[in-house]
Amino acid sequence: MTRVILLLATLAAFLLPLAWTVLASIGVLPDNSATPPSWKGPPTLEHFAEIGIAEPAFWQELATSTASAVCAAALTVGFSFLGAYGLARSNFSARRMLTQGFLVLASLPVMAYIVPLSDLVRRVHLLDTFAGVVLAESAVTAPLAVFVLHGALTQLPPVWEEAAVLDGAGLARVLGRVVLPLVAPSVAATAIVLFVIDWNLLLVPLVLTSGQVKTVPVAMSDFFTFERELDWPTAAAALVVSLAPLALLVAVFHRLLERFRLGASDGRDIG
Amino acid sequence: MRLTTRDRIVLFAPLAVLLGGWLVLPAVLGLFATFTTYSPFTTTVRFSGFANYAAVVGDPQFGAAIRNIVVFTAVAVPLELAVGFGIAYLLRRPIKGRALWRVLLLAPWLVSPIAAGVMWHFLFGGATGILDFAFGWLGQPEVASPAGDLRLALLAAIAVEVWRVAPFVTFLLLPGLVSIPNERWEEATLAGASWIQQVLHVAIPELRTLLLTVGMLLVGLSFGAFDTILILTGGGPGTATLTPALYSYGRAFQTNDWPVGAASGWLIAGGVIAVGAVYLRLARERPSR
Repeated sequence: MTRVILLLATLAAFLLPLAWTVLASIGVLPDNSATPPSWKGPPTLEHFAEIGIAEPAFWQELATSTASAVCAAALTVGFSFLGAYGLARSNFSARRMLTQGFLVLASLPVMAYIVPLSDLVRRVHLLDTFAGVVLAESAVTAPLAVFVLHGALTQLPPVWEEAAVLDGAGLARVLGRVVLPLVAPSVAATAIVLFVIDWNLLLVPLVLTSGQVKTVPVAMSDFFTFERELDWPTAAAALVVSLAPLALLVAVFHRLLERFRLGASDGRDIG
Repeated sequence: MRLTTRDRIVLFAPLAVLLGGWLVLPAVLGLFATFTTYSPFTTTVRFSGFANYAAVVGDPQFGAAIRNIVVFTAVAVPLELAVGFGIAYLLRRPIKGRALWRVLLLAPWLVSPIAAGVMWHFLFGGATGILDFAFGWLGQPEVASPAGDLRLALLAAIAVEVWRVAPFVTFLLLPGLVSIPNERWEEATLAGASWIQQVLHVAIPELRTLLLTVGMLLVGLSFGAFDTILILTGGGPGTATLTPALYSYGRAFQTNDWPVGAASGWLIAGGVIAVGAVYLRLARERPSR
């Protein structure tokens, strides 16, 4: 019982700032000048309409964010799945070290290499293009994906694959018909987490674009660094709109996300 | 299955091209460039030795950024681990709808770092904020935003980071905690271990590798702290919340001092690689029990 109370208290503390934001987005604002402070304003949806006035391209930016995050997550998962499988079924002495090396690479902040990357992207004429953003985002998140998928694949007993090989199956058949169906939940869970990370990236699209391709985080940074500050209810509405797709995605797939494991651990369900 | 050379090429080539071309190549070219006067805007390139690094290290602003990030990391990472672990520990034993609890508690992590900056800018603020509201109820006079206070700004940035990242730590640790065999807890309970002893002698040893992995990710995240602080304080007031990433970004893209920006970026990489070397050593040791 104490446990449930503690959990509820934690949940309340974590969600209070979000609730405050949601209330502001529908026009319910605190009146801090009154004593004691009270609330003002009837609920309204007009602040959501004001987003489009303050930032005419907002809905376009939302579409760009979604499309680039979907493409980047798909590309990363595909390439990382192949690499992680190769790693999991190879037998060389430095394998463990190499896998952990991917984790160190995953920890490397984007700022460490974005300056020369922006120069390179400019030279291959992909600056301010959708492809440039997607490729860079994929590369940023690939090391984490390799580490996670390698963990899932090493849990998989090789007997199924061996049986398929005896039946004359090649690599493509083994991967498509045997391995992928068995680890599909882990792969899907990884894709969801990568989508969230890609959607929220700021530095990559900020540095690699200059207006043609704009994601929501870049638009948000524009607002505050160029000193044309939004008023709070409109900003709150924009925050709610940009958070909603992620919240929905994670809520719908909450059972699937149980399969997201960092590294190898035995696969007991947590449900 | 037994992989042929052709299989290996098919499996590794796409990843190698992606990571090689978009991460390793720029990082290495960038490293070479930092020992020259290279910049995208100049035509003549001369070898300059450690001049760029000397310029970075000699800059008092960068010194302040290093000091800030050391404090930031030393406070934020242990707090994130402790809070994240605490919540995961509460969810350890079966509870109705545990998977749902897990994602509900993940909500703050879904807020992007930049959105967290925007949000807390207003939540810390006077007229719209949560702090002022709470203090008002307690009968206290108006409080100024801690993000604008010379002494409190860094703490405010740390608080926002912990709020956003601790839930992700719970999300990562919970599957590991749940996988610990029941017998290990039962042994401890029979031996009369308090919950603190259970944490110290069961949970932490069993989760050693996972905790190291999460710790590594958190240190990297902290060393690169950028988005939230960009909006919340912009590095200020003064240099109170300036981080190496903000410094590097400012030099490379705002004052167009490209070589200094690239060199300071590599110093961030150097920090992460140093911590990474320690991590690789620790993660290789098998836990003894």
